Amino acid sequence: MDQNVLVVTPTGKTYQYWEATGREAQISQLNLGLCTPAGLGLALALPHRKVVALDGDGNLLFNLASVADLAVQNPGNLIDIVFDNECYQSCDSFPSVTSKGVNLEAIAKGCGIKNAVTIRDITRFEQTLDEALNGNELFFIVAKVEPGEEIVPLPRQEGRENKYRFVRHVENTENIRIINPYSRRRKKDFIPSD
Amino acid sequence: MKQGSVEAIVTGLKEAGINFISMLPDSDFTDTQKAVMADKDFKCVPVSNESIGFGVCAGAWLGGKKPALLITTDGIMASAFPLTTLNMQKNIPVLMVIPYRGSLGDGIWFMGPMGAATEPLLKDLQVAYTVISKVEEVTPAIKNAQLSAEAWLRPTAVLLTGEIIFEEA
Repeated sequence: MDQNVLVVTPTGKTYQYWEATGREAQISQLNLGLCTPAGLGLALALPHRKVVALDGDGNLLFNLASVADLAVQNPGNLIDIVFDNECYQSCDSFPSVTSKGVNLEAIAKGCGIKNAVTIRDITRFEQTLDEALNGNELFFIVAKVEPGEEIVPLPRQEGRENKYRFVRHVENTENIRIINPYSRRRKKDFIPSD
Repeated sequence: MKQGSVEAIVTGLKEAGINFISMLPDSDFTDTQKAVMADKDFKCVPVSNESIGFGVCAGAWLGGKKPALLITTDGIMASAFPLTTLNMQKNIPVLMVIPYRGSLGDGIWFMGPMGAATEPLLKDLQVAYTVISKVEEVTPAIKNAQLSAEAWLRPTAVLLTGEIIFEEA
């Protein structure tokens, strides 16, 4: 995937996989209910950049109303992927409500997201992702996956370092300044730079 | 809400550089919320609960916007989780402008607990805040709160008491 695509991940294995790639354009550990909203805000802030949110079923269910807000805003540069393993894998795979028939695709479609799909095989997933990456419409992709416990290296960076790395990437690629640690306005506080 | 208060809030937001606003409709804030939604200087994103708004504003900040939340004291209660796991953990700033229901002079019985819980909760959540009761102090308070939010990478809040939010009976 293009290194300029901005990726948003929740906590857990999804984050650990992406951390292992060393990718800069990745903001991680958007905890329960905050991954899709953060992806939405990022997509609205940078409408010319492609944003991919890699949510999970348990994470999304915590703030399910965010699907409605996503649909209303309808950012054409956002791909919201929900890896639905039908359980809270980090909690001994305690079943989530999607294991009892709750249908996230139907919810998204009911909210008005046209490109809401459920995918169960890798070939179709790749085709749909290609279509979404090359298009200009909001996609909501429910990727049904098996629970798994592959060993992935624990991340080396914590959340603040990840944030700084991501922000510096956006600053550099967008030629903007986001962090202003010396945003003072009084003359006597002004410290000239070297 | 008093018209002068609405203008002071909108002016403060503009002079603070705010260009992205998330909100949940609130009876005390409707006039202000309508004013910012009608103003092309702001990208406005209404949300279905305030905690979603914190996520949306965090994403917007990461993308270079200067976000603010126009939310109620109830919204602070509903947002302890994102304030802790997102703003506090990652040091992500956001400005909150809040009608301070439950401040002294509030005559609605169920607002009492809001007043009792709001400031202790903001302190526990490491939100720097100020309480404003005079209309002429609204604009500079909003500008100051945003200035510090940006420099400290922390959420800040401006609480507006009844003197500002309520029309005279």
